[in-house]
Amino acid sequence: MSAGMQNGNNARARIDIRDLSFYYGETKALKNISLPLYDRKVTAFIGPSGCGKSTLLRVLNRIYALYPNQHAEGEVLLDGEDILTAKQDLNLLRARVGMVFQKPTPFPMTIYDNIAFGINLYEKLPKSELDDRVQNALERAALWGEVKDKLNASGLSLSGGQQQRLCIARTVATRPEVILLDEPCSALDPISTAKIEELIDELSKEYTIVIVTHNMQQASRASDYTAFMYLGELIEYGATDKVFTAPENSQTEQYITGRFG
Amino acid sequence: MADIALAHDFAETARATAMRRHGKGDSRFRALTFGAAILVVAIFLGVLIALLNGAWPAIKTFGFSFLWTEKWNPVTEKFGALAPIAGTLISSFLAMAIAVPVGIGIAIFLTELCPRPLKRPVGIAIELLAGIPSIIYGIWGLFVLAPYLQAHVQPWLIDAFADVPLLSALFAGPPYGIGMFTAALILSIMILPFISAVTRDVFETVPAMLKEAAYGLGCTTWEVMWRVVLPYARTGVVGGAMLALGRALGETMAVTFVIGNAHRLNPSLFAPGTSISATIANEFTEALGDLYVPALIELGLILFFITFLVLAAAQIMLYRLERRAGAR
Repeated sequence: MSAGMQNGNNARARIDIRDLSFYYGETKALKNISLPLYDRKVTAFIGPSGCGKSTLLRVLNRIYALYPNQHAEGEVLLDGEDILTAKQDLNLLRARVGMVFQKPTPFPMTIYDNIAFGINLYEKLPKSELDDRVQNALERAALWGEVKDKLNASGLSLSGGQQQRLCIARTVATRPEVILLDEPCSALDPISTAKIEELIDELSKEYTIVIVTHNMQQASRASDYTAFMYLGELIEYGATDKVFTAPENSQTEQYITGRFG
Repeated sequence: MADIALAHDFAETARATAMRRHGKGDSRFRALTFGAAILVVAIFLGVLIALLNGAWPAIKTFGFSFLWTEKWNPVTEKFGALAPIAGTLISSFLAMAIAVPVGIGIAIFLTELCPRPLKRPVGIAIELLAGIPSIIYGIWGLFVLAPYLQAHVQPWLIDAFADVPLLSALFAGPPYGIGMFTAALILSIMILPFISAVTRDVFETVPAMLKEAAYGLGCTTWEVMWRVVLPYARTGVVGGAMLALGRALGETMAVTFVIGNAHRLNPSLFAPGTSISATIANEFTEALGDLYVPALIELGLILFFITFLVLAAAQIMLYRLERRAGAR
């Protein structure tokens, strides 16, 4: 848990989570979590089901605020500003912190519109510029080659892996600063998973990425930092290499070697 | 060994018997459901034939001109359906124009914005509204709504639009209280619960994750509903609206009370008019002569076709919507 500060590199914490607790009604689902999320690094949240890793992710863009009896306490600093305050504009926050979900969630519109929709929320671009942005986003998500001839087909007509890359493209197109991925490969086959992981690697050059995953190999392959959570507590946090090769905590070791969870 | 073989044989026979029994049960079940399905077709054809048969003298006498003749004179036995057809269509579509946006608005409020403690009471109130018998709407319309409109709303509208070219014709004439406008208003109240209940139900089938994805992009509630939820649920919403339109087209009792029952076409919405079902309900008991009853039955036949066309139009509309969203 202390590894954050003395990690030996000079990466800047884009998001700083400080003493964060989260409640579903009366139930405390996150217990005093503190950790940094470094700029242009991939941080993986791992842990058994119900440990709170998705909950933690959902705090970072405050998507939980859609539901009336969920609330967070503590501080989450994005570039030094607390996003948990009431005066935080949620739409603006979500423009800065994009999210990709467990299952692909293409909107019921064409492939082109799926991407253009997000851009149009924030910018009014002339058609040609919009076309460029859509193409660029699809290229970034390694989907352009597969869909360039059918941009007017429904987003729902794509395969599961393509849909998920479409959702990533949609998120990238709005130019966020942070991208949250909530088990983005859980509904995908190994080939699609590999493509998404390549994509994450590519995107991490420009974005701060947080990924929740059940897949140990994925966490070790795709992330720079790993946070292991259990029963709402942060058990161990550190550089992925270190967490996977020489974990400090015995629970972490048991989990990553598959002995529980 | 023999024992085992015997036991095996026995099991075989038991299984075969069971299979035969299942097979027989299946075919009986199939026949039963097939019969039920055929029954629907038979009733449909029966109604159509009965209507055609009953209307035949009128069809023979007036031909297609029945459809665009305004005159309705039982004394000289000259009948034309234009006024009731126009009345049915105008009152129904006006009612839809009021009820669809309001109904969808209610559904959006109930699924997305309503505080939890209010959700059930409002939902139940809407379902109760759907259960009120139409005669009660009729009485209420005649004794409460129409006088109120006559005293307060209609004079104001007539004054307000007096100088606007097109609208002055729509909102003209003495404020009778009863008339096309009042009928449409009553109809819209009657179909509102259908639209909002069905729309709410289909909105609730929209996956939470899809909505979160839209909110996660930074959409406002309006953008989420208008751009994502409504397109996702369009089939159900259109279906609910068509159900409501079907009811509006055929609604008899409440409309008969407030529409005025005048066989005249009038550009003003405040003037009394009539609808197909109101005409039939009003005039059947006093219909004498060789053409009066057939003319009324032909009106019924026309209503039958209008409903049919509306359903067909709804299908085409859905198909177009889906094409535009790129689903095929």
